[in-house]
Amino acid sequence: MVDTAAAAPSTTEEPRLSKRGKRWLIAAAVSASLVVGSVFAFVTFQPIQVLPRVRLAPGFSLIDSYSQIVTSEDLRGQFVLYSFSYSSCETCDSIDETMLEIQEGLESADIRGLPVRLVTISVDAEDTPATLAAYADSIGADPDIWTFASVEDDRFLGDVVAGGFNTYFAQEDDGSIRLDRTFVLVDGAGIIRNEYKYQTQTSDTERILRHLGVLAEEVENSTGAASLAYEAAHLFLCYAP
Amino acid sequence: MTDTPIAEEPTPPPSRSPWRYALVALPLVIAGLVFWWGYNRAQPHQFSGAVIQGVSAAPDFTLSSDRGPVSLSDYEGKVVLLYFGYTFCPDVCPTTLFDVAGAVEDLSDDEAEDVQLVFVTIDPARDTAERLGQYVRHFDGRFVGVTGTEEEIGSVATLYGIYYRAGEGTEATGYLMEHTATLLVVDRNGNLKLVIPFGVQSDAMASDIRYMLR
Repeated sequence: MVDTAAAAPSTTEEPRLSKRGKRWLIAAAVSASLVVGSVFAFVTFQPIQVLPRVRLAPGFSLIDSYSQIVTSEDLRGQFVLYSFSYSSCETCDSIDETMLEIQEGLESADIRGLPVRLVTISVDAEDTPATLAAYADSIGADPDIWTFASVEDDRFLGDVVAGGFNTYFAQEDDGSIRLDRTFVLVDGAGIIRNEYKYQTQTSDTERILRHLGVLAEEVENSTGAASLAYEAAHLFLCYAP
Repeated sequence: MTDTPIAEEPTPPPSRSPWRYALVALPLVIAGLVFWWGYNRAQPHQFSGAVIQGVSAAPDFTLSSDRGPVSLSDYEGKVVLLYFGYTFCPDVCPTTLFDVAGAVEDLSDDEAEDVQLVFVTIDPARDTAERLGQYVRHFDGRFVGVTGTEEEIGSVATLYGIYYRAGEGTEATGYLMEHTATLLVVDRNGNLKLVIPFGVQSDAMASDIRYMLR
């Protein structure tokens, strides 16, 4: 009995402190789980999807089919989809068809009214504004949306197309040009956001129009505190397929 | 009656050792510090420019300065700030260089040692290596100015997303250059990571550079 009475104070003090400690421990564990769970949920369910910022688009000066200078600076502030072709190309039909489908699809695409420009850069140094105008006309390009142009100083054609846009082209012995089918999507800051080089189950047209919507959503919503969520989506590689 | 005085006798407050408070307070303070540290670490750094997530190796180049040839790869392990401008530039170039110099000054000596500004002229006809050297060192003695042939400059500028064009005038009468005015930041591994637009103040630049030096 004496022993029990003597031991009583210490047994009543210690559990009180340890209970408090336990509460803190539980609170910390719950908070940590919430943080980890939120990150996991964000990465798994990807409530926000973005397009990666791949690399810088090249700087250039082009001459369009109206003999006007179009520079990379003129195209800032709008989404630009680039394709590469040339007026006498006999194998570029599928490239032009895709661009034409996108031109038509833009009317109903969910791009929040943001400006989109299509630009086809000729890889043939022989192309003139007149040949490009005839080429654009034959395809049915809308000049308000779609620009056909060649690099102003052909010394830099390779730097712009191959170096900057990473698109292979080469002059063959018979004078024809071998060219890779490539589309490049650039944002308003002049940063490449996606390249379309390989055929997937989903058509390029569908992917590009969807990606334009993803970009438009990011531009419209990533302001204030929401910009942190968009940066998190970039950080956790929540990329739109 | 006899019970009352005994009941009113004030009971002495239990003696609480200050150590006991300290034992409770200390873990709380430590937890608070840990939370604050974790919060700051987890907080994504707000860059003042556009971040490029892709591993995009900055194209290497070799151009001439008044102290010999300069290649981007010479500065591997450092954060390199690349700016394309010209010495006759009346406003944008000196403002940017002034801001970069301010940002470098904000850094500690050790940090500043790992940062290099390379100023590439877009006006090789007028900007000699000597003129460039004097011009950039006017802002900071560590800055380097480089030039090359028209083709060399054109290629490098194209690959770095820089557009430029000479305005009306001649070498004798003078002319202005129209050009992209972004500051490009290459990380320690030689990847182009950040594009800072014109107009970012030196303290914001310093914050970005410091983050990239971590």
